[in-house]
Amino acid sequence: MITYDDEVVCAPRAGTLYDVLELILDRGMVIDVFVRVSLVGIEILKVDARIVVASVDTYLRFAEACNRLDLEHDVRSKTVPEMFGSPVAKTVGKAGARRTARSLTDKVRDVLTPEHEEEAEAEAEPTARPRERAERGRSPQRARGRTAARPRDEDDRPRSRPRRRTDEEDR
Amino acid sequence: MTAPATTDTAADTAADTAVSPDAPAPAPKAALYVYGIAPAGIRAPRAPGVDGAPVRLLTESGLCAAVSDAPPRLRPRRRDLLAHQAVLAELAARGPVLPMRFAVLSPRSDTLLSQLRSDCQHLTTQLEGVRGCVELNVKGTVVPGHFADLVRRDDRLRGLALRTRRRPDYEANVRLGEAIALGVRREARRAAREVVDRLAPLAVRMAGGTTDDEQVLSTSFLLRSADETRFREAVAALARTCGDRLALSVTGPLPCYSFVDPCPASPAGR
Repeated sequence: MITYDDEVVCAPRAGTLYDVLELILDRGMVIDVFVRVSLVGIEILKVDARIVVASVDTYLRFAEACNRLDLEHDVRSKTVPEMFGSPVAKTVGKAGARRTARSLTDKVRDVLTPEHEEEAEAEAEPTARPRERAERGRSPQRARGRTAARPRDEDDRPRSRPRRRTDEEDR
Repeated sequence: MTAPATTDTAADTAADTAVSPDAPAPAPKAALYVYGIAPAGIRAPRAPGVDGAPVRLLTESGLCAAVSDAPPRLRPRRRDLLAHQAVLAELAARGPVLPMRFAVLSPRSDTLLSQLRSDCQHLTTQLEGVRGCVELNVKGTVVPGHFADLVRRDDRLRGLALRTRRRPDYEANVRLGEAIALGVRREARRAAREVVDRLAPLAVRMAGGTTDDEQVLSTSFLLRSADETRFREAVAALARTCGDRLALSVTGPLPCYSFVDPCPASPAGR
């Protein structure tokens, strides 16, 4: 009654390490007669994931972009496609996100790849960055593109996780 | 990397017989790194395990555990996390598997085998629970570009924006920016709830994950494999309708990490 067929299995691969990190670390079985090794680094990883990013910085970017909006002559019926596509609207999110992503990613990477792996990392860098950037405009099909054939090093860099907050806070 | 087990034993024997003074004392039977548990009778995964160790299967009571020799020191290195994932992905592609969390060790193989024996019923039930199923993880992130539309639609924000413009200063800008950030997030969260409501009927089970200000949706869905395509299409359709507020991505098919009983009466939590 196994319904896995080869086509389904081979086509889309699991996502980047970042995409599955929480599942690997926090889900899955732990059997009590077994030992879960306490890992130096795992806690740091999780703390990093919750690290408070410079929110004020983000706020000011929003305000700056907002101040450039034409509000005086605006009427609500007017659609704003130009804003979605405009450089202003785009840079707001990206610049902030990317900056925090950079530093956070570095930190997380230090944990994930101590010692000798650093060199390999550095080599993978030039190719990895542009791809990372390109992927920032996430599409729903994103995961599909990742195949097993793709070299791991290029793609598996963990991406940043800005600070966590509970859902309730904003409701 | 994929040295067959025979090479290992041969090397061991050689080391044992050649009694050189500086040879390390024969190590006590090494601990085992446990990847997951599957029904007996499957092929051992070819993917190298943690620290490059070959993965083998230990069979008992109709179940088998995928294990490899535990490395002397286990760290959450990227390549090891990925090895864990790769081994499980390979097993999951062949049938139901109960994935272990990263870094679960069994001190000895007989401990592991007796655990399989004594917990056989429970494990088998769980395996049946995920048979023919895959996990898909859907994440959604806030789309900041949505703010312009929001400011125009929301009277309060609009008023705040106009006031700030008339009397701009640092404090006012921070307040305005914060209000916008909050609004953008709230819209994204609303979209996220909508997405979950729409996808829920397609799934056997769901499991929510942690979210934050940026990533407001992270939910795993247990799907019958046959429904995967339909599910992806549904996500794609939702991504179109709420893409201005929430950017969706799907990861999977994954081993069913989120849909195994973490462990009955296990004090070792996270």
